[in-house]
Amino acid sequence: MAADFGESVAVAALSLSRRFADGATLWCVAPEWSEHARHVAVEFVHPVVMGKRALPAVSVDSADAVGALRPLVRPGDVVLAISTATCATTAALLPRARAWGATTIWMGVGDAPLIVDRDSGADHVVWAGDGPETDSPALHDGRLVLMYHVLWELTHVCFEHPGLLTADQACDEETCITCSDEGRLGEVIDNDERGMAHVRTARGVELVDTTIIADVSPGDLLLIHAGTAIAEVR
Amino acid sequence: MSDAADFLYPFIEGDERDVGTLLVDLSRSAEAKVTASAELRRTTLDNSTDVIERAATAMTDRFVMGGRLFVFGNGGSSTDAASLASLFVRPPWGQPLPARNLVDDSAVLTALGNDVGFELVFSRQLIAHAGALDIAVGLSTSGNSRNLLQCFAEAAGRGLLTIGLAGYNGGEMATSPHVQHCLVVDADSVHRIQETQAALGFALWRAVQSGLANQETAS
Repeated sequence: MAADFGESVAVAALSLSRRFADGATLWCVAPEWSEHARHVAVEFVHPVVMGKRALPAVSVDSADAVGALRPLVRPGDVVLAISTATCATTAALLPRARAWGATTIWMGVGDAPLIVDRDSGADHVVWAGDGPETDSPALHDGRLVLMYHVLWELTHVCFEHPGLLTADQACDEETCITCSDEGRLGEVIDNDERGMAHVRTARGVELVDTTIIADVSPGDLLLIHAGTAIAEVR
Repeated sequence: MSDAADFLYPFIEGDERDVGTLLVDLSRSAEAKVTASAELRRTTLDNSTDVIERAATAMTDRFVMGGRLFVFGNGGSSTDAASLASLFVRPPWGQPLPARNLVDDSAVLTALGNDVGFELVFSRQLIAHAGALDIAVGLSTSGNSRNLLQCFAEAAGRGLLTIGLAGYNGGEMATSPHVQHCLVVDADSVHRIQETQAALGFALWRAVQSGLANQETAS
């Protein structure tokens, strides 16, 4: 496990439990090993521990995870991607999920991502490196399963602390998109020649000025500030 | 609401506000689970060396003769079965080997569940697919799943090699005459059992790959 595993999974579990308390659905995607997404979903929907509440979690197994999730994910939901650090689907999905207003968790095995910046789209990163045990990769020796079991277990511990599930959700984390003066993420739905585009953000569909962005196409991610796209996020 | 006994149950009214304490507790709990899981995996692997060796040798012989592997389980164990099947089919190293998870096809699963009952969803697939050279590996945490026991009975009757992965005390799988090799994870947490079963599956796969490599060197 990564040295910060305990801390990172604790923060992710608290965030997840707060979103659940607020009515979120957890969307699980594991582009390289879809069975792990299914395992996470069944943990939450049908808990193995008697008396634990059933929570809405869904695994999505599609060659086009972004296209499959785009109509399903609502603002306030949580998207969990389980993958390697170099998974192209995860790289495309997480920033878009964040643009749609979802909280994102990236859980992975193997070499950890070198940089987890805002462009990665990951609000939470929980990792198990293979470390010195190269002949026993975390993907195969039970440690990946352990990671999401612990996420489930801690999420239910949080439900035993109802007073902590109602914190100001928009502003309780290190990177606060809503309050940041850098702008908010949006995904382009359609655009016209007049330099305007319909963009999906956490607030819904907004019409923004895109004149300062060179080429705008549906699916592009833009940084939006005061009704204007100020940069493209790649 | 306040009460003289509140200090005994500080969070009972849902007015807890100290998120820092909770995060420290959660973090410690996570680390403890990591340690417990690692310890259980290590001791189980140590105690299972002989069974793994025997089961893997028998599997290797069958793979060499053209046998195929069928894996099955319910719920989370069905996804662990899928992981095991893909480990054989798309291995990180060594030879790709034919393996299938009997839960993969929802049309087959719902057709059988609807028409003949859930108890037969796996055994009926073996009737359609399996031959005497094949291998059946079933994963259950309780060791008592009816559809697995039914599948093992069908498999044994057809001459398949049968291997069971169970938890707790092994349940009926541990004593079933239809399960030739049973690997039991002696624990009572479904989660820790499943993590350890993944490690056991990986150990089986690794032993099969070494067996195949040794046969190649010898021939």
